[in-house]
Amino acid sequence: MTGTRPLFLAGLTASLPIVMGYFPIAFSFGVTATRAEFTVLEATALSLIIYAGASQFLALALLSSGAPVLVSAFTLIAMNLRHVLYGPALMRQAGREASTRYAWAWAFGLTDEVFGQALGSLARGQRFSEPYMFGLGLGAYASWVLGTLAGAVAGGGVLDGWPSLSAGLGFMLPALFLALLLSILNRRQLPVTAVSGAVTVIGTLMFSGTTGILLGILAGALAGLVRK
Amino acid sequence: MNWDLLTVALLAGVANWAFRALPIISRTDRQPAGGWLERFLSATGPAAIATLLVASLLPLVTPDPGKLLAVVIGIVAVLVTYYRAGSVVLATLAGAFAHGAAVWLLG
Repeated sequence: MTGTRPLFLAGLTASLPIVMGYFPIAFSFGVTATRAEFTVLEATALSLIIYAGASQFLALALLSSGAPVLVSAFTLIAMNLRHVLYGPALMRQAGREASTRYAWAWAFGLTDEVFGQALGSLARGQRFSEPYMFGLGLGAYASWVLGTLAGAVAGGGVLDGWPSLSAGLGFMLPALFLALLLSILNRRQLPVTAVSGAVTVIGTLMFSGTTGILLGILAGALAGLVRK
Repeated sequence: MNWDLLTVALLAGVANWAFRALPIISRTDRQPAGGWLERFLSATGPAAIATLLVASLLPLVTPDPGKLLAVVIGIVAVLVTYYRAGSVVLATLAGAFAHGAAVWLLG
């Protein structure tokens, strides 16, 4: 197991942009949860257990509107179905010999952004390693949970007096996705990304944001089938 | 503790773990090389990131020219910083800072 610690620390360092992107969003989730009259413990439990940003905001809306438990749960589950595609895509890039011995533990942290960052590092020539995945995932997870806790403790209305700060923090995730896309983009993948983007817009406008995401990923992956 | 909330969280959390971990544990990526599944899966990553980028930008699209300009300034800052510095971290921070500053300046 030589070299485990540096790889873990490298993963932790690589999680820094995600940490900076997650904390403010999780903070606003905590604020929103307390505004919806959930307690600090309940808000933090949602982040600890679900750990999926957009669906947590949806959970607040569903639960506070009195939606039935099973309907709420299945809505959230459908929303996160896209994550099924991430593991195989990552392991395809990692190679057949890559170890997945501890995947049962680190894979829970494979969120949209962790997946993007891991894929980007592999595309830039880094070797896949499980300690790196632990470091990357742990930094992001800690940031998400602590951000929620901080937001819930601070309570509603805390960012109301700081619109530019709030806007800057809110732009962190689009900026991160764009930077990640630039880091993995090549000529062969251009049609894939163009198809994904266009279908996401159409799916979102015609159906919903969740449907747009699911259709966008599927359409882009299908576009990969027809390219040379 | 709200037990409805806990039940929903546990069901969604277990499903999330299954979606994220089970395809890796079962190594569904280990298919014959060069096949359709390989091309499908290798396109999934860029497709997902492009999708999530568009999905995160869509709520920021507004008829207000000032707010729209602030979004464009943020995007340009990411592009310029990434091509100059080659760093995902710096590009992300530059984009967020530029967008926040533009919102402040444009009022």
